Amino acid sequence: MRLDHRSLMPIAILAAGLALAGCAKKAPAPAPAPPAPAAQQTPVPVPTPTPPPAPAAAPVAPKTTVADLKTVYFALDSWTLDDATRATLDANARILRDNTALNVRIEGHCDERGTVEYNMSLGEKRADAVRDYLVGAGVAATRLTTISYGKERPAVEGHDEAAWSKNRRAEFSQP
Amino acid sequence: MRAIRTAAFALLVASIPTLAAAQGNVRLDVRAGGANRLAIRCLALTPAGDRGADTSSVKADEVLANDLENSAVFEVARGWVAGGGGADPQAEIGGTWKVSGAQITLSGEVHDWPGRKPIFVQEYRGASSEWRSLLHHYADDIVMQFTGEPGVASTRIAFIVQEGREKNLWVMDSDGADAHAITHDRSIAQSPSWSPDGSLILFTSWRGGTGPQLWVISPQQAKPFLVSGRPGLNTSGVYAPDGRSIACTLSQDGNAEIYRLDPRGGSPVRLTDNRAIDTSPCFSPTGQQIAFTSDRSGTPQVHVMDADGSNVRRLTYDVNYTDSPAWSPKGDRIAFVSRTDTGFDIWICRPDGSGAMRVVEGSSNENPHWSPDGRHLVFTSERDGKHALWITDLDGGPPRKLDTGGRVALSPAWSPRSGPASPQ
Repeated sequence: MRLDHRSLMPIAILAAGLALAGCAKKAPAPAPAPPAPAAQQTPVPVPTPTPPPAPAAAPVAPKTTVADLKTVYFALDSWTLDDATRATLDANARILRDNTALNVRIEGHCDERGTVEYNMSLGEKRADAVRDYLVGAGVAATRLTTISYGKERPAVEGHDEAAWSKNRRAEFSQP
Repeated sequence: MRAIRTAAFALLVASIPTLAAAQGNVRLDVRAGGANRLAIRCLALTPAGDRGADTSSVKADEVLANDLENSAVFEVARGWVAGGGGADPQAEIGGTWKVSGAQITLSGEVHDWPGRKPIFVQEYRGASSEWRSLLHHYADDIVMQFTGEPGVASTRIAFIVQEGREKNLWVMDSDGADAHAITHDRSIAQSPSWSPDGSLILFTSWRGGTGPQLWVISPQQAKPFLVSGRPGLNTSGVYAPDGRSIACTLSQDGNAEIYRLDPRGGSPVRLTDNRAIDTSPCFSPTGQQIAFTSDRSGTPQVHVMDADGSNVRRLTYDVNYTDSPAWSPKGDRIAFVSRTDTGFDIWICRPDGSGAMRVVEGSSNENPHWSPDGRHLVFTSERDGKHALWITDLDGGPPRKLDTGGRVALSPAWSPRSGPASPQ
């Protein structure tokens, strides 16, 4: 299934972008499973003379990355997008429209106050709500994937509203 | 021996409806408090055979006494502890612990007291590496002798251990011994659920990289295989009591709904159809009903429906914000959690919603799961600071903590009985 998914990504620049982001090491990168051998499909971009140990970070790809997309936050038990969230998503949509090579994964997360199972569903509702909004704002649906982490990956440890409010979120990562 | 166990297990399963009818209210009768437990006295097992028996029998004494205490049937006095005699016992538990090379023979003997008439005699043999299991089987037989139903000392508990950002599936004996990891995939595992014969564990994992998927694994640490990796959610998998289907949550049609799959993940049949979140299915022991969580009325509430998705009703209006239903093995109660200011309390009520009673409170308590005899609930709690596994015996005593070596432990699932009470 993953192989199918990858073979659907035809554009070389996209693969290069993936490789770049892989090297960029965004601190809270969630990737639970190691990415499949992207090297096979990454047409090594430049005519460097050294044969095998070449594929370092080649700064050719667009400068804009998922790190430029802002995380949005939710109220307790809710996947409703309030005005502030919509404003943030409008800005994110602008970046995505301006960088059509940037595909993103929307991660839905929850605070610890719901149960494990309920939060898996709630996290998906949040990710879906964000995806639907971005599509409505002109981003091609094919560029967006969603994943729910429920309450399995809190951004902040803690048992108070200060922590909870930071954990009820949808954030953006490399697909 | 494996084949014999399996055959006897089938017999046991077949007889459960009779037991349920006969003992429908045993647990709640016992609930009145420790005073209703039967007083017994454990005598030190007599070592025999090799010299090592002298020291191993000391460990054996404690394992057996713990099992009998944990059964919630007995008030146990340790005969080898000075002044530990307690009240007059109704019976004395003893026997011989014989070590011959790599073989152990436990000759169990239970006498009534003060008459000292033998009321149960049974021999258990096994490899010395399985010494604990001999004692667990003896303990389960003693419970059987006094209650008409075997104990659960020889069962196991599957659970999740969190280490940093990783969560792996672990299994241990129900007394906390022999805890070991089953998955090691640097991903997130959650929500284990045993197959009715105890041979497989269904669980949710992000190991595929595309989101939560349903995987199944043998507790003998084989590689897991994928059961459902449909787009969106594949969570909350549980086996039907006959093992012939799985209920789970999928969102392949755009929203979290409950489906029934065959055990390999095929032939999906959708059971709920609602724009709200429907999740956490759990079968009644007959397989004819399913309890689940739905927020169709605004907040999560436990509902019950027939196994084909019809006759949906909310479980109880006496408690608000309810989730994580767990149907008792005898069918007479449903355990669930209810949200509080600090987390969750654990409640039980009858399947018709009546008789709601809080059984665990304070701090946060999640994921209640019944022991196969319905006398205990294992659950996750933060009551001593970090997530650990606890057991309540439902008889009014305080919950006891399972020793998981200080690890962050979550989402317990109690195994079914793995064989007959008596291995011979």
